[in-house]
Amino acid sequence: MQLPSSLLENAVAQFSKLPGIGKKSALRLVLHLLKQDVNDVQHFGETIARMRRDIKFCQRCNNISDGDICSICANSFRKQNMICVVETIRDVIAIESTQQYNGTYHVLGGIISPLDGIGPDQLNIESLINRIEKEQTEELIFALSPNIQGDTTIYYIQKKITHFNCRVTTIARGIAFGGELEYADEMTLARSLANRLPVQQYVK
Amino acid sequence: MLSLKKISVVQFKNYEQKQWLFNQRITAICGPNGSGKTNLLDAIYYLCFTKSYFSRQDAQIVQQGKSGLRVDAIFDKDEKEHELVCIIRENNRKEFWADGEEYKKFSEHIGKFTCVMIAPDDVELITGNSEERRKFIDTILSQCNADYLHWLIDYNKILQQRNSLLKASAENNRLDESLLDTMDEQLSEKGQLIFTARKQFTEELIPAAIQSYQSIAQKDDGININYDSQLLKNNLLELLQINRQRDLYLQRTGFGIHKDDIEILMNQQSFKTIASQGQRKSLLFALKLAEFEILKKQKGFTPILLLDDVFEKLDAERMHNLLHKVCMEESGQVFITDTHAERMEKQLKAIGAEFQLIEL
Repeated sequence: MQLPSSLLENAVAQFSKLPGIGKKSALRLVLHLLKQDVNDVQHFGETIARMRRDIKFCQRCNNISDGDICSICANSFRKQNMICVVETIRDVIAIESTQQYNGTYHVLGGIISPLDGIGPDQLNIESLINRIEKEQTEELIFALSPNIQGDTTIYYIQKKITHFNCRVTTIARGIAFGGELEYADEMTLARSLANRLPVQQYVK
Repeated sequence: MLSLKKISVVQFKNYEQKQWLFNQRITAICGPNGSGKTNLLDAIYYLCFTKSYFSRQDAQIVQQGKSGLRVDAIFDKDEKEHELVCIIRENNRKEFWADGEEYKKFSEHIGKFTCVMIAPDDVELITGNSEERRKFIDTILSQCNADYLHWLIDYNKILQQRNSLLKASAENNRLDESLLDTMDEQLSEKGQLIFTARKQFTEELIPAAIQSYQSIAQKDDGININYDSQLLKNNLLELLQINRQRDLYLQRTGFGIHKDDIEILMNQQSFKTIASQGQRKSLLFALKLAEFEILKKQKGFTPILLLDDVFEKLDAERMHNLLHKVCMEESGQVFITDTHAERMEKQLKAIGAEFQLIEL
């Protein structure tokens, strides 16, 4: 792509580093910014720079936070002895929007996959184990992706905490809401049958 | 009863556009080299498995210089007609339709219409390395047991992860023992399931193969076939734990069902080194016929048999026995190719079969 200005070219190169943005989309965004008021663009740039500079990660659960401890951990109305283990911050947001969970989180930052160079050391596993010991956690809920690496991570952590008096559970796997049964894939359907629920619980 | 009534192809391999009707249980396809005998068989195979028997990539089966292809056929299964259509569009998008409905996943189609192909290159199954024989077993088992394929996929994923871990710990000089423990448990759970399925399956396959060999050769040539697996003596978890130091040193997993093999012996010696070409071929047919038998039993209908150029390297008597077995003793539909129309006609008349001759 031939661009008339090197300033423009640099800006396009920066935008195209973002996930899901190619050269053409980057150019469209940059040209849009060019049409804006200088002050507005200044503000735009500063907001992003400040976000990266000032944002903190909760010292307890690694969630994003404005202070040392995130708003979820600091909330005394939430059950502090219940931890939901998730892969990323996006999962925290997803579970929070259900408004069904009233405990704390622990963000691992990924799942164990030596193939991608991610071992237990690269994840926040040790801090989780220390936390369970220190806080006398009563229940640990795994909400990880239902694949092999997710399973490896669950088994690995579970082995490390068998000597604590902590209940370990994982989220259920089964048929999605609003889905038609016949369109569910066979493995999911088979799993839902194997782990079927008494109707009393289901209705609630 | 499964049979193919009609097939038509557009821009498939060497065919621009062509249609065939089949009105006999046995179809003989004759023509000189390069006339497209094998391609016709491949078109039938393609509709049963949504992929070619010979080429891995779909791009290779489109007629040269063209884009897109279409293969459609009318199959008759249990007195009901089914229309199968496969289209590759100009943009290489592949569609597969059965009775006017498009499949979302091609894997759903596998196992509904089965056929068994026997082609000259298949001798690799006997002379090649153990991977060929595992693939042979896996293909049949996946058609009969949907769980098996999932176990296999999972096993291979865990194996890859374990090997990466072994490599990483050699590079960093540090090992997370409990992570390796976790993976050993995961691997052996799937491995043990696959082993049991393979063991059961080979207990059925091997006697069937030996029996087929005898009916082709009229003797057993001292052949002995065994399922060979490290798991026969020990369970996988123990094996992995005993050999952990070795695995760490070699940086890969030395034990598991990925080392399984089918061991073939003739008079207690390795079959592939001492058997003649004709004997190898006979055994190949025997294994494929055993596959045929098992699919027939599991599926409740007879698969279509595709025999490509099978008469090369077999003596007259073995050829006669083979033809008699597949055409007269079995009730399924058979397609046979050969370069010589007279030779084929003579052979088929000799066994008293009614057949349709297609000359290309």
